[in-house]
Amino acid sequence: MVGPTASLSNLSRADGSASFKCPTTGYNVLGSVNAPIELPARRDALKPEEATVEVFVKPGNTTAGVGERYVEGILRTMLQKVILGRERGFARRGVVITLAIIGGDAVQRGDSYLTILPALLQTSLLALLSAAVPMSMTFSTALLAVTKSGDIISDPSPVDSKTASSLHVLAFSSKGHLLLNESQGPFDFDTWESVRERAYTTCRGTAVAGSDGDIAMGEEGEEGHADGFIRETVEDHLHRDYTWKIDSA
Amino acid sequence: MAAPAATAAPSVPPSLSLPPSQFARIQPHAYLLAHLSPPSASNQPSIRANGRAPSQFRVTSANAGSLTHTNGSAVVRIGDTAAVCGVRAELLHTEDIASWSVSQASSSNKRRRLADLGEKPTEEDEDEDPEDDRAHIEDLNLLVPNISLSTGCAPGFIPGAAPSALAQSLSHQILSLLHSTRLVRADDLRVWYQQPNLGPEEPERHNENEQMDVDAEQSATIEDKPREIKAFWVLHIDIMIISLAGNPFDAAWAAVLAALRDTKLPKAWWDVDNETIVCSDSVSDARKLSLRGLPVASSFGVFEADAAAGWRANVIPDATEQTQTGKKGSPERWILADPDGYEEGLIQERACIVVDKQKDGKTTIVKMEKNGGWTVDTEDLRQLVEISAQRWDEMKRILDQC
Repeated sequence: MVGPTASLSNLSRADGSASFKCPTTGYNVLGSVNAPIELPARRDALKPEEATVEVFVKPGNTTAGVGERYVEGILRTMLQKVILGRERGFARRGVVITLAIIGGDAVQRGDSYLTILPALLQTSLLALLSAAVPMSMTFSTALLAVTKSGDIISDPSPVDSKTASSLHVLAFSSKGHLLLNESQGPFDFDTWESVRERAYTTCRGTAVAGSDGDIAMGEEGEEGHADGFIRETVEDHLHRDYTWKIDSA
Repeated sequence: MAAPAATAAPSVPPSLSLPPSQFARIQPHAYLLAHLSPPSASNQPSIRANGRAPSQFRVTSANAGSLTHTNGSAVVRIGDTAAVCGVRAELLHTEDIASWSVSQASSSNKRRRLADLGEKPTEEDEDEDPEDDRAHIEDLNLLVPNISLSTGCAPGFIPGAAPSALAQSLSHQILSLLHSTRLVRADDLRVWYQQPNLGPEEPERHNENEQMDVDAEQSATIEDKPREIKAFWVLHIDIMIISLAGNPFDAAWAAVLAALRDTKLPKAWWDVDNETIVCSDSVSDARKLSLRGLPVASSFGVFEADAAAGWRANVIPDATEQTQTGKKGSPERWILADPDGYEEGLIQERACIVVDKQKDGKTTIVKMEKNGGWTVDTEDLRQLVEISAQRWDEMKRILDQC
């Protein structure tokens, strides 16, 4: 199976940017982050000690509608918790994340937004890393589908997710917490537990390697799981950025 | 802080204590925390500031058929959150659907293919395949929910303003839940036209001896005659939140559910001579929608004693052990069912679970969301599903009575 591809800092004007492409779902998302910036219409009455996180999702071929408002809300609540909005220079300011869906099937009115949610989350994380926004943890996401016969497919294709009986998006932090769960369609709790287990494996590799992500840097590099993918992308980028130094040494 | 108290009652010596209502406004977090974790010396139970137990929902009432000009309506009140929902049915002629002939051909092909494969419909009492259902309801947008918060329901929402992000995202959630639960059957929304049998069998009908045979034959010919869809009912589901005190989704969804259960569609048929759809005036001809199941939504919020605890544990590695040990001693977070407006302002992590129960009492989760934090995991979610299942019984009772 071909894994996703990503690149960092594609845009020169934004503070940070990233593009992410997932071959199985076909989604290609370009994200930019500007932080910290002064927001014009900020109401200080609301949490003056924290940064405001704003997320904008722009679909490729139409204007943003109610579905985008919904997915923006999910991204905002999740990222607000991960971004350290009380750091010096961030309080009372804004972190603006703009995500443009530049490839893949358009999400129709009333369709499930879960298929594209992982790509949006990964892109925003990479863009935040590229913008060097302080975060308490990174995360990785997985999309899983449960078929009518009860099989669990990870990274389902658009056809699979159309016919699936339930769809699940889970995000795990780099410390192994369950950060986000969005499940849709009829299922029972035992199914969800096995979905969670499977998602944990796709996100973080084997369950044993999970407990301390920061220390086990060397062993975590194994390919195949999403956490390692984020790390590799950032490592590659840093390597490219510091080529001059590495070469001269 | 003591100054207003002192001026209000000059005879009393100035004290540094505040009335509870002022304390609640000045230090909302500490106020709720003080209620949830009373000092162990006092024998008070841990209750929320609104007097409810952590897993207790607000008093819910529902009233169906409140609006006369709609096909179905309901008012649902959960505590101080009130939602009015009206369902209005409009006819959509198939000749007005641009892609009708194309999509119709493809869907009948699909049906035939499925029949060839011998695939059984998955639903227990299904006589139509779910793909067809989806094709009609979702692709033709036969369900149009819209939620309005611009009614002056809460101070934060300006009346008459454009739909806020919250209202838009609620609209989407309701629509996608209507689609994913497949609550409304497409068959209820179709207006069929059966071409009359103008064949020469009429005279044979009087033959008493061959009655059975003829009937069988005739029904066979009816099957052969093309039975076509002439129109669809489009259900416009409008929800107004007339008072918002937290948890708008549960109230709105309950209102939609109650209104759809109340919805009656008039009998409609294709009039060949006028080439139009005619509806019957009489109420006795109208029929109710037969909904699939009764999905009930329950929302939860997680109140953390120390909102920064999670950060500290992750930012300062040494702090992890301390919080780990501290966690054992006292619960540092409470999962509050059905948070009200006051609590919602103090909550970051939320969960929303929609469950349905089958006839044999088995609970099916239809939607499970959890976002905004990292304290809720498998065990908590399992408990929340159980609480939601209990809530389902309660809501079923309330909705059955209305």
